[in-house]
Order: sequence, then structure tokens, then C-alpha cells
Amino acid sequence: MYDLGYLMVLIPALPLSAAVVTAALGKRVLREQSHWPALAAVAASFLASAVLLYRVYEASRSLPPGSTGFQQTVSLWNWAFIEGARPPFDLAINVTLRADPLTAVMLVMVTLVSTIVIIYSIGYMRGDEGYWRFFAYVSLFVFSMTMLVSVSNFALLYVFWEAVGVCSYLLIGFWFHKPEAAAAGKKAFLVNRIGDFGFALGVFLLWQIFGTLNFESVTQPDGTVVQGILGEQYLQQGYPAGSSTLLVAACLLLFAGACGKSAQFPLHVWLPDAMEGPTPVSALIHAATMVTAGVYLVARCAPLFLASQVAPYVVAAIGGFTAILAALIALTQTDLKRVLAYSTVSQLGYMFLSLGTCSLAGVTAGMFHLFTHAFFKALLFLGAGSVMHAMGGAIDMRDFSGLRRVMPRTHVTFLVGCLALAGVVPLSGFWSKDAILGALHDRAHEGLDPWIFHVLYYLGLVTAVLTAFYTFRAFFRTFYGPERVPAEAGHHAHESPSVMTLPLVVLAIGAAAAGGLQWWFADFLGRTPSLSAPAMKAAGPAVGFHWDVALLSTVAAAAGIGLAAALYLKWRSSIESSAAIYQSPLYRVSWRKFYFDEVYLLTVVWPLRAVGYICFFLDFMIDNLVNLCGWIPRGLGIVLRPLQVGLLPFYALAMVLGLLVLIGSLLSWY
Amino acid sequence: MDPNAAYTSAAGVLQLIPEMIVVGGAVFVFVGGTFAKSKTAWSWVAAAGLAAAGLALWTQKVPGGFAGPIAVDALGYTLRWLVLLLGGVFVLALARPAAAGQAPEVTGSLLLAIAGGMIVSVSGELVLLFVALETISIPTYVLLYVGRKDSASQESAAKYFFLSILSSAVTLYGFCFLYGVTGSTHLAEIARVLQNTSVAAVADWGPLPDLALVLIFVGLAFKIAAAPFHFYAPDVYQGTTHENAMLLAVLPKVAGIAALIRVTTLAMPLAAGTGWRIALFLAVVTMTVGNMTALWQKNVRRLLAYSSIAHAGYLLIGLAAGFAATLGPQGSRPEEGLGASVFYLVVYAFSTAGAFAALAYLGSPERQVDTVAELAGLGRTRPVSAAALAVFMFSLAGVPPLAGFWGKLSLFLSALDVRSSPGLGASRQTWFIVLAVIGALNAAVAATYYLRVVATMYFLPPAKEPRAEGGGAVRTAGGLCLVAVLLIGLLLGPMLIQATQDAVQASAPVPPPKPAQQAQIDGAPPSIVR
Repeated sequence: MYDLGYLMVLIPALPLSAAVVTAALGKRVLREQSHWPALAAVAASFLASAVLLYRVYEASRSLPPGSTGFQQTVSLWNWAFIEGARPPFDLAINVTLRADPLTAVMLVMVTLVSTIVIIYSIGYMRGDEGYWRFFAYVSLFVFSMTMLVSVSNFALLYVFWEAVGVCSYLLIGFWFHKPEAAAAGKKAFLVNRIGDFGFALGVFLLWQIFGTLNFESVTQPDGTVVQGILGEQYLQQGYPAGSSTLLVAACLLLFAGACGKSAQFPLHVWLPDAMEGPTPVSALIHAATMVTAGVYLVARCAPLFLASQVAPYVVAAIGGFTAILAALIALTQTDLKRVLAYSTVSQLGYMFLSLGTCSLAGVTAGMFHLFTHAFFKALLFLGAGSVMHAMGGAIDMRDFSGLRRVMPRTHVTFLVGCLALAGVVPLSGFWSKDAILGALHDRAHEGLDPWIFHVLYYLGLVTAVLTAFYTFRAFFRTFYGPERVPAEAGHHAHESPSVMTLPLVVLAIGAAAAGGLQWWFADFLGRTPSLSAPAMKAAGPAVGFHWDVALLSTVAAAAGIGLAAALYLKWRSSIESSAAIYQSPLYRVSWRKFYFDEVYLLTVVWPLRAVGYICFFLDFMIDNLVNLCGWIPRGLGIVLRPLQVGLLPFYALAMVLGLLVLIGSLLSWY
Repeated sequence: MDPNAAYTSAAGVLQLIPEMIVVGGAVFVFVGGTFAKSKTAWSWVAAAGLAAAGLALWTQKVPGGFAGPIAVDALGYTLRWLVLLLGGVFVLALARPAAAGQAPEVTGSLLLAIAGGMIVSVSGELVLLFVALETISIPTYVLLYVGRKDSASQESAAKYFFLSILSSAVTLYGFCFLYGVTGSTHLAEIARVLQNTSVAAVADWGPLPDLALVLIFVGLAFKIAAAPFHFYAPDVYQGTTHENAMLLAVLPKVAGIAALIRVTTLAMPLAAGTGWRIALFLAVVTMTVGNMTALWQKNVRRLLAYSSIAHAGYLLIGLAAGFAATLGPQGSRPEEGLGASVFYLVVYAFSTAGAFAALAYLGSPERQVDTVAELAGLGRTRPVSAAALAVFMFSLAGVPPLAGFWGKLSLFLSALDVRSSPGLGASRQTWFIVLAVIGALNAAVAATYYLRVVATMYFLPPAKEPRAEGGGAVRTAGGLCLVAVLLIGLLLGPMLIQATQDAVQASAPVPPPKPAQQAQIDGAPPSIVR
């Protein structure tokens, strides 16, 4: 079993070494070849992840029925140890990596999408002056992300949670000389900090409740066993009842962190702005991988959330609300990447909605949607990047149309992505969305509080209609209608090079076919120890296919697509010339993103800025007081300087006078 | 001491072999200089002489106690090594000016001054001590005089000459009173007499021991440039070369502190009550005057002159603490403050010598760096020299992890460890807390002008590129100082503090007083200080 441990270490270690090599040699030595270390390392990391997945699958399949799932950990070194930090518990933070089905799936997804995006970036970023910097950052990100899903301890999870945040910040502000990019990077970082603050508090509370931060139980050298938060004992026998209030608080705080990272209401405002970064970054970090960290966190802690009883409702409600809110905003956006960004927010909301059911079916459906979404959303972003590349950097859909002949390969692959996102049978999005709706449906018909899940179920259906509509609105506006290209593109608007379209094709295949993995995926994920807990199983079976749900969701997708086709293919000219629509209040509310930025400006930014000004004034006063004190020594200096007259007799006199003063004081004491 | 015993013995004289080698070297240079015309060879001869002296010192054992007038103890051994190492730095720094001018005179005088410093370190007798102090002073006059051939240089030499003579006279006057009171010039005997004495004798002496202490203190305060006996320093440093200023800032200070520790704190326990008051008062005045006036200086040698005055103030903190601890209460450790002072000497000497060496290197024989403004942009034009100078400045400012930090830390801690004797109220402890606070405030103020030098080097656009023609020898001298400062700061600091304190403890001429005698010393009748 040692080789599994080697693989676990190798997967993050390779990108890290690539980041170090590129950072050290990129600027002077590698220059235009800076992509090689990143590409080689991340591709190798993907292969290692694939082998790891296979081994974990083999191992989990050979388990006896009714076992508690498969996991293996490898402990590298002790990062921090405080004896008796909270008697009788020691605070021990071991750098421990874990392999279980959930981690294996995340690792494969992250490294696969990363590899594809890196290949794409070779074409997309060519000629940029920060070429080496880009690949150094991306390698660092892959390291951080693989560590995030591999670590087996909440403290380290927090560390890499922040690390991916830093990478995200660096990459959003990659073109930092653009003021919007710098501001967007700052906004992303600050909004994330709010969530991360909650996360940190949540981790503290967990320490307070459990006296450990480890996921799994650890046997100490003296033979005693420290029960991990997601360890055998708690999973099998349930969490202590006395701590339920604290547990609720801890779960909600952890979820606040997830809301920040995964751009859920009310912390969703940073993600659309993050599109200022290079498009491959939008695809990799802000669509496929990093933003799903919140989903991973909740999925990882599902038994904990379930035990807290209250938290799942909050997760589901926030997820459902975000899903429909972001979908409504996406209806009217004209920036292609922003449409996709709000779509990402909406789809992440879908995932949380699914996780909120806290049944095994819901969690696996949410994770499966995360998996398929990674393919088709990365595909859509890379397709948008391809359009942007051809249009000379223009990305507003009002500036171009009818590109299907100019960019045939981008057109076809983008269509596959749109169909998958809209949830059309038999593409991957259909299966994962259907699984989510099915889980909601089940939850609405059995168990506690059915009415909440009834509401959420129909919310999900409406969102599906909206999703199909805005997706195809963007598709039709970009690729159909009269052929127009913006001035920035010049006269040679053309298809992107194959180093960019090949990744599109690969992703399109994934987006089309990944749905077939659904049953295998759900079964495999169910062998994760934390998801195979009795409490989870009791909340519902893993997979159920509902013909009625499938039919309804297909109708929803068809309705959305049909509406988009009608508006943007048939009556396109009349829509675009109709001023009445653009003036209508509903349109404006959606166009201005429900005024969230303005509301935050008014309620958060300005008050804080006012406090800041007051503090600045106080600081100014105190500063000057301090400066005044600083003048005292100089003033003394002014007094003392004239004594230095330069005359020898005076110096001698001063010495004698000094002597006399000392003798005089001596005699006066006497 | 047995009065019939020989005043000096062959064994005692043999202890001085290292000093004899250095003096022999000086004689060889002086005599040879009249025959041989070479100018560069004499520095090699001097270096060889110092190396031979080092070898001789290395083979010496430290038996402890006295051999006639020679104090063969750990303190002497430590200080001799310090002077010898600094001597090496001086020889390197002065190699170029010597070769440019009157090489035999410069080199020979320098060797004599070094020998004088080494003899001060081991003097256990007043006459020997005085002669040794003059062995430093007289060659220094020569060095100042031949250093530069302009009126400013002549003026500074004259100032130093006259004021130095005045201070020597005052010191000698103090020695006379000490001899008169105790009937001996031998420090061990003096310590014995001043410790084991009856109430009647003390009443008989009146204020004379304390008067002797004041006079000796004042005379030696000139050597270490403590206020108000410091006035010569800025004028003299400014008027001479960087190399001479280095010598003046370091060697007399080492000798002065060594003599103060040997004569006043260790040998005159009876007058310790006066001693701590004078030392504390002079420390406060000196630190403050030095630092406040330094804030205004534009000439870099003048700046360092005031810096060296301020450091004399810091050095006196340890002395004051040593005096106070001599008075008790039981368990007080005089060696804590005195050892801190000795350690601070080491730190100060290498930091200051290094700063002067760097400045000397940046100039040329014809034109030396005079103002701080000339250092502008040095971080770009001369990155290595700038970095070295910055390290010395940070060390002088007491920034961790450099040597100066450990020095100030040990001094302030020794002041804070002073305890009042029972029955005398809390006043002494309070005074020392005030002293430590004033010291810390002064250190903060001092950082202003040290960091201004650093800021000038790194944040201002380059003026005109410095010549940097000081030569390889002075660069080596600066490099040695840099190694010392970094080594002490990063590695050896705490160990050296402990070592110097142990050395001082092992070198007290008489064993520490017993509690019974303690009460007598500390009580009202024997001392004039109540």
C-alpha cells in the first residue's frame, strides 16, 4: 500500500516544484518556454491522480459489504504541536494526506481540467509579457488546490483554503496595470476574507467541541486514540448531543467560508468581477475548481451538517436562492464572460441546494453536478476565451454576432457546452441536474419539512428554464444573426489555433459523455467513510431515477431554449431595436444585478470608509503629537550646540567647572 | 600583601612578554625608519609584531591574582585580547596613510599606543597604570599631528594635547589622594585597606576617599569622552582623518573603562556610594548631550564623535550598576553591570571602528568623505560598502540581531537588576529604573541619526560617485569588524556577555564581602553617603 502514499505526495509535489522552477527560471531562462514545467508537472500529476483513483476504486470494491468505506492516510510530518493546549487534549497538527473516493474524484477533476487549461493557455497567453508568471501562478494554484482536497485536518484545510485564495487574487489581478483588474482582485480577496473569517471561527469552534482538528481518528504513541471529527466513532455512533448548539454555530460558520469561496449569496459579488483575469483562469479557477472548494467542504462535512439538523436547511435555502438570483441576473448581461460567471454562481447554488438535502443521494448528486459542471463550464469559458481571442479582446455580445462561420470549431464545441448546461438529454448536465432535482423530489415527499423542499424543488425547475434561456441567448447572439466583428479584431477575425481548439474538443467530449458515469460515480462516492455513515444512509438511497422529474426538466430546458430561439433567432431585430424592453424596471433590475454592489457600497463600504476617515484623523492628530515629542530632543540639541564654541580655554574651563560641581555636590552630601 | 615581599618578580615581568613584543616592534620601526626608506614594509612589521604578541598571549595561562604590579586575571586577559585585535584593525586602517606620509613615525606610535592599551588592561598598580595611560596618550599626539598637514589638523592636535594633559593631571591628583589614604599604590592592598577598616579610621579619613574617586573619575571621564569632559571630541574628530578618529574613538575608551573598573569599582568599595551617583549622573548627562547634539550634525566624523560620546554614557550605565551592586543587598552581582560594560566595549569598538573603516575606504588619500550628504545613493553606487556601513549603523543603534542589540540589552538589564539595600528605602532602585528608561529613550533618539545615514545611502539619488580609493588594507579592516559585529550579533552575543561577567567576577582583587562587613559598608558610619 506504500505506493498509494507515494502517489498522494507526488500529486501536489509536482505542481509545487513546477511553480518553484518557473518562478526561479521563468523570467531569464525559460521565457517563451515557461509552460513546459507546468504542463509536464500537472499532466504527470493528472496521471498520478488517475492511478490513485483506480487504486482507490479497486480497494473500495474489495471491501466487504456493509463496511464503513475506504480511506487511507499518510502522515508526513508534525507541523505544530502544543502539549495540553486544552486539557486533556494536545493540539497536534500533522501534515497528513488522505485518499478516499471523494478526494480521488476531486483530484482527478482538478488535475484533468488544469492540464487542459494549461495546454489552452499556451496558445491564449502567447506573447504576454507575464507569460512565465502566469504558469508559475497556475502551478502554485494546482498545488494549493490538490492539497486542499488532500489534507486531513481542518487547520491545514484552512491554510490551503487561503492559499487558493491568494492564487486567485494573483491571477485575477494578473494584468495589474489595468485598474479594473487590480480592483477586481482586491474585491475578490476582501469579500473572500469575510467568508474566511467565518471559516476560521468555525475551525475554532470545532476545536472547542472536539478537542482535535483531524478528520480521521489518530492513535497516539501511548496507545490512546484521539477521535477525529469525521472519525469512525462519531460516524457510527453519532455526534454528542450536548454540543448541538455549538455544532450548529460551527457548521454555519464553516458554511460562511464556503459561501465566500463558492460565491453564494450574499458574498457572490466578487465572482463576476473576477472575470477581469485571463480567461483560462476564469475557466480553471473561477468555474471548474477553486469555486467548488466550498461545495467540497460541505460535502466533506456532510455528516457534521446532518448532525447539526439546522445547517442543512440554511445550505439548501441559500443555494436555492442564489441559483435563481444569479440566473435572473444572467438573463440580461451582455458581457459573454459575465453571463457565464453568473451561470457559475447559479450552478454552484444548485450544488448547495443538492447538498442541503443531506441525503446520500443529494450529496452524490451535488458532487456529480460539480464534476460535470467542471467540464461544460470550463468548455464554455474556454470557448468564450477563443471568441475573445479572435475578437481582439472584445467580449461584449453587442459588438459581434454570427460568428459560426468564422469560428466553426468553437461554435460546435460551444454548442455542446450550452446543451450540457441547459440540461438537454443525453448530455452530462442533464444527468447531474436530474439527479439533483430527483434528490429534492425525494426529500419533498418523505422526511421532515416537506414543504420547504417542495418550494426548493420548483425553484430548481424555474432556474432550469432560466438557465436554458440565458445560455442559448448568449449562444445565439454570439454565433447566429448577421456576421459582425468589432473593430478591435481587425480584418482577420479567424478561428483560434489548434492548441486552443483541441482542449475545447476534449472538454466537449467530456461534457457530452460524462453523464454516463452517474451510477458508477454515486456508488463509488458512497464508499467514502463520511458518506457511508449510517445517518447518511438513513436519509435516503443513493440513486433514484424519476421519470416524471426527468420529463419535467426536459420540458423546462426545451422551454428555455425555445424562448431563446424565438427571441434571438426569429425576432432578433425587433428585440434589439425595442427600447421599451430595456426601459422596463424588471429588465433594469436584472441588468444592474439587483443593485447588490450599490447596496453594499451604501451599507458596508461607505460606513466603513467614514470610520476609516475618523481613524485617519485621529491618527493624524496622534502622529503630530508624536512628532512634537520628536522635536524635544532636537530642541535640546539646539540648546546644547552653542556650547561647542571651539575655544580651547572654554573647554578647559568646562572640564574644571564640571569637576568643581561634582566635588561641590560631594561635599554638600558630606 | 606581605610588605617584605619583593615588589616585583621575574614571574610578574614575564607576564608582560606580549607587551614587550609590541614595544620591541615599535622600537624596531622607529630605529629602522631612520635607515630604511621603505614606506610599506613597516605596516607588515607592525602586523607581524602584533601576531607574535598574539601568539605569546595565547600561550599564557591565567593564574588569577596579582604578580606584583601586574594583574594577571581573566579581566586583563580579555581586555588584552580586545586591544590586540583592535590593534590589528588599526594597523590595517592606518597602513595607507602611513605609506603616504611618515610611515615609521605613524606605525611606531601606533604600536606604542597599542602596547599602552594592553598594559592598562593588566595594571594592578597606580604608577604602572598612569604610565600606561600616558603610553597611549603621547603617541596619539604624534599621530594626530602627522595625520594631516592643514591648520584644522594642527588645531585639533593642539586641543587634544592640552586637554589631555589637564585630564592626566586630575587623574594623578586623584591617585595621590588614594595613596595618601591607603598608604599603597597597589590596587589589591588599596582594596583591602578600604574594605577592612574601623569606624574610627573612616571618620578619620573624612571625605578623602570619595574625593579621590571623584578626581580619578573625572580624569578618566575625559578619556572616554563623557560629558562635560567631552568638548574636545567633536572638534578633534572633525579635524583629523577617519583613521585617527577611529583610534581616538576606540582605544582611549577601552583604556578609560578598563582603568575605571580596576581602580574605582573593584578597588574602592568604600566610595561606591559616591561612585554610583557620579556614574549615574554622568551617564544620563553624557547620553543625552551626545545624542541630542548628534541629531544636528552634517559632518560625518562629527556625527560619529557625538555618537561615541553617547556611547560613553551607555558604558557608564554598567559602571553605575556595578558600583550600586557592590553596596548590596546580599546576592547583588557587581560583575553583571561591569561585565556588561566590558561586553559593550567590545561591541562598540568593532561597530565604530568598522564605520570609520568604511568611511575611510570610501574616500581617497587626497579627499576624504566629510558630510553625510556625500553618501547619497551609495546603496546603488557602492552596494557592498553601503551594506557594511548600514550594518555598523544598525549595530550602533542597537537593532537586533546585530551586536549592538546584545550590548544595550545587557546594560539595561544590569541597571534594572539593581536592588536597594534593606533599610535605605527604595530610592536606589528607582534611580536605576529611571536610568534604564532614559537609556532606552536615548537609544530611540539615537536611531534617528543612525538611520538617517542609512536612509541617505539607500533612498536618495546618487550625488557623485565616491572615489573609494581607501585601499585593500582598510577594506580588510572593515571586513573584520563586519564579521565581528555579525558574529557577535547572530551567534556569540549571549555567550560573550556571560564570559565577560565571569571574567570580571574572577578578577575582583579581594573576595566579595561577607554579609557582616557588608552591613558595615552599607551602613551610615563608614561611608560619607547616607
